[in-house]
Amino acid sequence: MSTNSAINVDKLNVSFGDSHVVKDLSFAVEPGESYGIVGESGSGKSTVLRVLAGLNRDWSGEVDILGKRQPKVRDKAFYRAVQMVFQDPYGSLHPKKTVDDTLAEPLAIHGIRDAEAKISRAMQDVGLPTSFRFRYPHQLSGGQRQRVAIARALVLEPTILLLDEPTSALDVSIQAEVLNLLQALRHERKLTYILVSHDLAVVGHMCERLLVMQFGRGVEEMTAQTLAARAPQTAYAQQLLTASEGFRRAG
Amino acid sequence: MNATSEQALLTLDDLRVDFHTPTGIVNAVRGLSFTLGRERLGIVGESGSGKSMTGRAILDLIPHPGVVTAKRMEFRGKDLTTMDKASRRKLRGRHISMVMQDPKFSLNPVQTVGDQIAEAYRVHHKASAREAKERSLSMLEAVQIREPGRVYDLYPHEVSGGMGQRVMIAMMLIAEPEILIADEPTSALDVTVQLQVLKILDDLVTSRGMGLIFISHDLHLVKSFCDRVIVMYGGKAMETLPAGELDRAQHPYTRGLLGCLPDLDHPRETLATLNRDPAWLA
Amino acid sequence: MSDQTATSPVTWHAWLTTTSPESRRQAKLGQLYRQWLAFRKNPAAVAGLVIVLALLLLAAFAPLIAPHDPLAQALDQRLLAPSAKHLFGTDALGRDIFSRIVYGTRVTLVIVMLVVITVGPLGLLIGCAAGYFGGWVDTVLMRITDVFLAFPRLVLALAFVAALGPGLENAVIAIAFTAWPPYARVARAETMIIRNADYISAMRLQGASQMRIVLKHVVPMCVPSLIVRTTYDMAGIIIIAAGLGFLGLGAQPPIPEWGAMISTGREQIFDQWWVATFPGIAICVVALGFNLLGDGLRDVLDAR
Repeated sequence: MSTNSAINVDKLNVSFGDSHVVKDLSFAVEPGESYGIVGESGSGKSTVLRVLAGLNRDWSGEVDILGKRQPKVRDKAFYRAVQMVFQDPYGSLHPKKTVDDTLAEPLAIHGIRDAEAKISRAMQDVGLPTSFRFRYPHQLSGGQRQRVAIARALVLEPTILLLDEPTSALDVSIQAEVLNLLQALRHERKLTYILVSHDLAVVGHMCERLLVMQFGRGVEEMTAQTLAARAPQTAYAQQLLTASEGFRRAG
Repeated sequence: MNATSEQALLTLDDLRVDFHTPTGIVNAVRGLSFTLGRERLGIVGESGSGKSMTGRAILDLIPHPGVVTAKRMEFRGKDLTTMDKASRRKLRGRHISMVMQDPKFSLNPVQTVGDQIAEAYRVHHKASAREAKERSLSMLEAVQIREPGRVYDLYPHEVSGGMGQRVMIAMMLIAEPEILIADEPTSALDVTVQLQVLKILDDLVTSRGMGLIFISHDLHLVKSFCDRVIVMYGGKAMETLPAGELDRAQHPYTRGLLGCLPDLDHPRETLATLNRDPAWLA
Repeated sequence: MSDQTATSPVTWHAWLTTTSPESRRQAKLGQLYRQWLAFRKNPAAVAGLVIVLALLLLAAFAPLIAPHDPLAQALDQRLLAPSAKHLFGTDALGRDIFSRIVYGTRVTLVIVMLVVITVGPLGLLIGCAAGYFGGWVDTVLMRITDVFLAFPRLVLALAFVAALGPGLENAVIAIAFTAWPPYARVARAETMIIRNADYISAMRLQGASQMRIVLKHVVPMCVPSLIVRTTYDMAGIIIIAAGLGFLGLGAQPPIPEWGAMISTGREQIFDQWWVATFPGIAICVVALGFNLLGDGLRDVLDAR
């Protein structure tokens, strides 16, 4: 755990009422790294992301982001540095706001001028044609909505992007386009990613290191190479790997 | 490659599903043909490919304003296109059944799971409540639910996703149909649970000599689970081939689809993307 | 659109239904236009709209449409049956009933509009605040709402009017006091669903203040169902106003309020049936019109 980490989590515990959803989790992410968190439902992976984003206040432990200890409630400046892309392209855009409204809002909140140029630039960066600018979400496909969500996250020019299953709800061919876009953006802007997914192949493709979670605990941390070599050290990680290879008929 | 006609459980020739909406006609399925024998047939496609509509068309579950037409649609030699609604309804559940994606939405939330299975049985067989309950309990055992007596009295929100899906399978197989249509049966489940459920499905289908139509968007899954695969795009079949030969698929759409999947064994900087050729829709 | 002067229907339609609008205004107008097209397909809804528009027109142009002065008494022409000169006959004081009904549309409209303008936004804000903030805010606001909801509407309205005295303005206040709780309840229920949506989380992630989120993001999602319910409610408000008028507690004579007209006409209901019947039909038709309009709006705005 170096003090230069972009994100440093130490003994994170999250409980909702009686259920202890994240247990004593610790990990660190280096600046410019792409770090994956893999797990099945109930593993707590999405909860971790929400804690990092400041959307969740029922946690204890220490969370350092960009060198600063984070309180439960984050300020506006935090959101210029850290942004998030959600899983469901159909739920993450306000149904009654056009693409233009959605992209203009964060700029208005932070009092950033030159909104016009920034919005055009953001749309261009995610590959959305300008003719889509005044469309409503229901006039866009799932992949296009996800691009808008990415543009919205990037319009404030953050350094850290939290990605919660960003392509799980998309068709495979659209997933490829969106993943390529995310890779390109990361390299261009030197962003730090935390990518949460249940799909090992996606995490293996996008991330340099990854953490396997189960029932709220961090089970194993490994590099993408270890994953590709099918050489995990814990039984659960091995189980996940085997399961992702598909169905095996006995005999 | 088709099943031989004496074995064919289902024969479809030029199936078309059209939706007559106020803003125009939407052709969801455009001329699909295949036969199903006692085998596992996978239908793979992305959203909008028409794969789910195909399953529903076979069961006569297409909602208004959809219209189903076909040159031939036969179940064990019986013509489905000229059959009246009542007879089509009798086929449903008793001879052809469907398992859907998410048990949260496909199970009745205000009835215990056991009662739902029992009801499914009594719809098709004259049986007393006690006999139906006994059969339901043995069906719950057949889908490898331990403590079937306890699970019988649970409500759908009290069971996990995997268990709920097994309940669905029990409910749909209790009347002993010859064909099961499974529409994304494991897509809502965790990957480790998926395999358990698939194994149960596989064992039941094999032991009862059923025909299975497995509809999915997951190429890898279909490749490993099914015997034959139909790849659909834009309402049409692009290619039909044995599952084992999917890696050597000929059609550019299938190849494109396989190519854009991230692969742990073949890491690449960027994923190949699909170039949709309008000719495929012709 | 290079040809700015072309205003033929084809061009407007294309401009409004284009899939690539070029401005916020075009997008918004296009949305409204599509909703209008969907609305138009429902004959009952269009009938409702026609009735409501007729109400508005009659109220606006009452002096031009009514053949007689609604307040002019002519004691030698009392209780005349409907004829060419008096389309709906005359009442016990010789006043032309048709003219009174036409002018009565103004009274009806005033009551309905005043109630709706105060009650809708109030209920919406209370409900959204309660739903979004939860905790003690929710508890306090909802208990207040419960108190008002516990009373039957007409009884509470009667009590207010009894306390404040009869009259049009007091009738409006009385009805308003009893009409707002359901809006608050419904807005709260919708807000509680909306507040967990990802797009609301996304707004929090951009550093938006709570106020901004509630006013700019939550409230717009509740407005469509509010509009639908308000439209439905107008029918109920009309009937309650008529009820108050019937009891002599609403608009005072000689103002031609329909409920009061029924009341004064009930003595003659068997012999001179027209005195009470025509105002009664007017109430029915208008209430029905608002109901049909509400149905149509619900299908277009709030379809489930």
